[in-house]
Amino acid sequence: MAIHSVYTLSKDDAEARSWLAFFRRHGYSKLSNLMIERVYWLEGDIKVDTLLPLLANPLYQVTSPKTQLDEGSGPVVEIAYRPAVTDPETPSILAGAHALGETGLEFARLSKRYQFVGLDEDLARKIAARFLYNKIVERVRDPNELISTLRPSGKPDAVATISLANLNDDELTALSRARSWYAPLSQMRVIQAHEATRGRAHTDAEIEILAQTWSDHCYHTTWKSLGLLKRLTQATERIHHPLVVSVFKDNAGGIEFYEGWVVTIKGETHNFPSSIAPFGGVATKHGGVIRDTLGFGKGAYPIGGTTIMGTMDPRLAEDAVPSGALHPQLIVTESIRATGYYTNPMGIPMMHPIYRIHPGYAKCLALGHSFGLIPRKYALKDAPEPGDVALLIGGDTGRDGIHGATVSSTGMTGETLERESAAVQIGHPITERRFASAIPVLRDADCIRAITDLGAGGISCAAGEMGAETGVALDLDAVPLKDQSLTAWEILLSESQERMLLAIPRAKLSEAQAILTRYEVGYCTLGHFTDTGKLQATWRGERVVDLEMPFLWEACPIDSIEMAEPKRRLAPLDIPEPRTEQEWGNAFHRVLSHYHCCDQLAAGSRFDTTVQGRTAVGPYGGRNHRMPTNIAVSAPLLGKPYGVITTVAINPFYGEIDPARMARLMVIEAITKAVVAGADYREMALCDNFYTPKVRPDVAWDLKQMVEAIADFSVAIGVPFISGKDSSSGTFEAGGRKIDVPMTLAVATIGRVPDVRKIVTKEFKRAGNKLVLVGEMEPGTLGGSVYADSYGQRGNRLYDPGATKNVIGLWDVLHQLHQEGKYFSGSAIAEGGIALRLFEASYGSELGARLDCSASNKTRADGELFGEFIGSVLLEISPEADLDRFLARVPHRIVGDVIVEPSLTIIEDGKTVWSDSTSKLAESWSKTFREVVE
Amino acid sequence: MSSPVTAILYAPGTNCEEETAAALELAGGKSELVLLRDLLDGRTRLSEYQAAIIPGGFSYGDHLGAGRIFGTLLVAQLRDQLMGFLGAQKPLLGICNGFQVLAEAGVLPHRSPGQRTMALLENQSAKFEDRKIHLVVSAERSVWTQGLEGRVLSMPTAHGEGRPLFCETSGPNSARVVLRFAGAGGKAAAKYPDNPNGAPGGVAGITDDTGMVLGLMPHPERASLPSHYSQDGLHIFKNLVRWLAQS
Repeated sequence: MAIHSVYTLSKDDAEARSWLAFFRRHGYSKLSNLMIERVYWLEGDIKVDTLLPLLANPLYQVTSPKTQLDEGSGPVVEIAYRPAVTDPETPSILAGAHALGETGLEFARLSKRYQFVGLDEDLARKIAARFLYNKIVERVRDPNELISTLRPSGKPDAVATISLANLNDDELTALSRARSWYAPLSQMRVIQAHEATRGRAHTDAEIEILAQTWSDHCYHTTWKSLGLLKRLTQATERIHHPLVVSVFKDNAGGIEFYEGWVVTIKGETHNFPSSIAPFGGVATKHGGVIRDTLGFGKGAYPIGGTTIMGTMDPRLAEDAVPSGALHPQLIVTESIRATGYYTNPMGIPMMHPIYRIHPGYAKCLALGHSFGLIPRKYALKDAPEPGDVALLIGGDTGRDGIHGATVSSTGMTGETLERESAAVQIGHPITERRFASAIPVLRDADCIRAITDLGAGGISCAAGEMGAETGVALDLDAVPLKDQSLTAWEILLSESQERMLLAIPRAKLSEAQAILTRYEVGYCTLGHFTDTGKLQATWRGERVVDLEMPFLWEACPIDSIEMAEPKRRLAPLDIPEPRTEQEWGNAFHRVLSHYHCCDQLAAGSRFDTTVQGRTAVGPYGGRNHRMPTNIAVSAPLLGKPYGVITTVAINPFYGEIDPARMARLMVIEAITKAVVAGADYREMALCDNFYTPKVRPDVAWDLKQMVEAIADFSVAIGVPFISGKDSSSGTFEAGGRKIDVPMTLAVATIGRVPDVRKIVTKEFKRAGNKLVLVGEMEPGTLGGSVYADSYGQRGNRLYDPGATKNVIGLWDVLHQLHQEGKYFSGSAIAEGGIALRLFEASYGSELGARLDCSASNKTRADGELFGEFIGSVLLEISPEADLDRFLARVPHRIVGDVIVEPSLTIIEDGKTVWSDSTSKLAESWSKTFREVVE
Repeated sequence: MSSPVTAILYAPGTNCEEETAAALELAGGKSELVLLRDLLDGRTRLSEYQAAIIPGGFSYGDHLGAGRIFGTLLVAQLRDQLMGFLGAQKPLLGICNGFQVLAEAGVLPHRSPGQRTMALLENQSAKFEDRKIHLVVSAERSVWTQGLEGRVLSMPTAHGEGRPLFCETSGPNSARVVLRFAGAGGKAAAKYPDNPNGAPGGVAGITDDTGMVLGLMPHPERASLPSHYSQDGLHIFKNLVRWLAQS
């Protein structure tokens, strides 16, 4: 088939200008110009001219059948997707061509040619490798390469039968690894025994299904072994919260909202793919967690999300990055690009963009949440009935992400990056957007009996789960393929994104098909639900899978895990207390410019925060709309005042000192953020996301302590966990070196408020008002703080907000004060302490604050300002307010007042110790992150 | 006569249709969500509606250029209906991606379907820009901004490609500029971030020669409901409702 190429050059290329400036800022000063030429590769019997209006706008784009770059003026690096990967734009080019009547176009690809004027070839390639592409999914195309076809092509392997009979333990282990099953020996033995019992060897497809279903990623073997899942679900059952609709079992958790609606929450990590291919990994992180919302009940609609990235410090020198790991700056910048690439077209407001660092995140943390909305009557799935159609909808199935479930359950090594490249893919948000629009329509037409997303484990996992109680028979030949060389087990295991599985009553099938056609969503009849109690599949006339559901779901051996109390080497802090004005200035600079406290708007402003028209308070607010709010409030029923409030707490430092206390603090921090804004903690639920190193006795010990801490605490405060996810694979290994992630727990809240207009935000409201710190100050405890980290220290003690009844008491008082409108601004203390809150409130209001530290003679004034008193809040109240009456039941102290000048001032015994303008401080605050990403 | 209905015309990838309908409803108008596919398959026709709004989003994934595939489909397969709609002097609004569609279809700035005379280029920053901005309304005649002349409006903007380029023969002076990015004081803004995309002269919205068609990059529907930080955008929808009631 003929292959045509169309080279297009923009006369006004902002992207090229932006890269040029970026590279020059990053030290490539010899680079005098940068050009980007886009090449369309078109396969088929076509008239290229017909397609030109589609491929270029002649107002600013020039097309040519040959390159328009002057090859003599500088080296050209051409970057294309690898042949096995379908370009994101391919389906759109095909659709557009067909609309123009050019039906001869069979396939299309895109490549980009970067010309580096002023640099030599080697340097150009080095820059390209560092910033412009990821070798896992993309490649540098050789200009002399001959192309016979653009299509990913090939013939499938036949289905193989694999007998485990007579293999010894070593052989079983070796086979498991060679096949990328990553199944532990105990599982291999169970499969071996199963073969003996039923008297027939398994097909490759069957073993692949078993390995995937029993992987830690899908079966949570680590957590089950430690009894952790049960611990959390039992805590939630004990609370028996009246608002809770759905917990843990479904793809997300849901609580009652207002007027017959339910709101949902789900958080999911995608750490492994994001570490080796951040763009694809982070894009599909969002795609996956959004599908969890779409797959909740009979199909919820996503109304908000988060992106939370933990990496090593992006400012690390190149040679300080462990070999086999990507540079953290690349991970951060690529993740930002990926989040915008996926969530903006999905039309889902980004509510909490959060970036954190820790030297342990060599295998990065890539967490995303999705919040959803669904009518109460559709919030619970029905069980599929025998005869129901299993309808697969969305994109085609390709070689993408095969073995994602098993690989992501293991640790990461330098070798993994090369070996498991197929486990990463590029998402296509437009495909997901299509069915996101169609699913509520299908649901409201009562077409859906049950729905779930295809994520880890692909068809195998989704069909296996959905048909667990009945049985399901699949016809793999019905699956539309991107890649004709896929064999049966690959079709079953493929983790191609943007697919959902629906159980449709047969009588509703034609109606469902009409709706899907109208919304331009692809679909196929994958099979039907049966009463056999088996997972069955046929392919090319052969029965390739015939597994009993009870074996699949109940036979997985759970290895016991040893536990041992870890020995922590912790040292007390040794930080000089600032005395002079200059030392105070330095201290503020350290904290405000710290990565965890700094302005991250350079990421946040690249994500749509107001789409859907539901946003009442987005991630940025204040008079200038640039102040971090640390809360998000959405009014999901358009035109109604009811609000969904969400918050997140995550701290990679605290876990080094005391994981269990860290876990409890995260719950307190997340809830307090919402309560100070005006939410009632009794109308709230929680979502937990754990990220911990590969399990060892000491890790298991900590993990158990963390889970017990939050389970017990949730019961004590009556706020239930309704959804969560664990990843126990946070260990990076290379060159004999092991790097563990810090014990990480992200806690997110979802709550409801009756009126979004009553939400109180952080920015100061009026000069003359008083500032009160409500809660216990403990200025001597700076362990785990940003301030300590800025000295390269961690410390040995975390702040303790005290007994549970004190914590609840404070929330009760706050809620009461909010109801009575007694405070004008408020913020929960977290990283950066009081100091960061004062700065942000000033920045967002163009007012200032004067702080009186006279009362702290006996303690450290820096501890007072930078201590992270989780659970405490800073409130702005009227100077006339009778504090002792309002706050009689809780510790409180007036710490200063709001002033007209936008500046921060510290006073001790009537003397100004230090003062600086907010705009000057903002320079430090806004520089750190911008320098990393721009 | 039954009350006039506005078509909210959208395609796969459009993602602002519901809030646009909600804003119009609050302004007292009546709307119907119409998929481009419904027109292509003949389930309905543009002539059934008295006005149309193409909302924001990423129609067809923004692939090949924002608004290009939607625009191509409009002029390649629905040209007669489009010409009929324009010829009947019915109000037409393109918001963000809808503006990009109207530019790619050649409807703006000079009603020349199939002939592009403007483009909305990638933002000067080469980034998607999500901001709350100010707009100042010019004295240019438009059914959508009547009575707002000289006013400063606050509303969100969120796009990656919004920097207008006009064909040399039309020239920046001949495009009828209705809205300009401005500082809080109402002075047209040339500089980032008040001007988030680098539009020459701060051009944020233009009308055609008749004043019936408006294309703008910012999102009035996201500054319309009582839960929004501003309700300035509601004026634009109220103007439509008023105009439909009068005609």
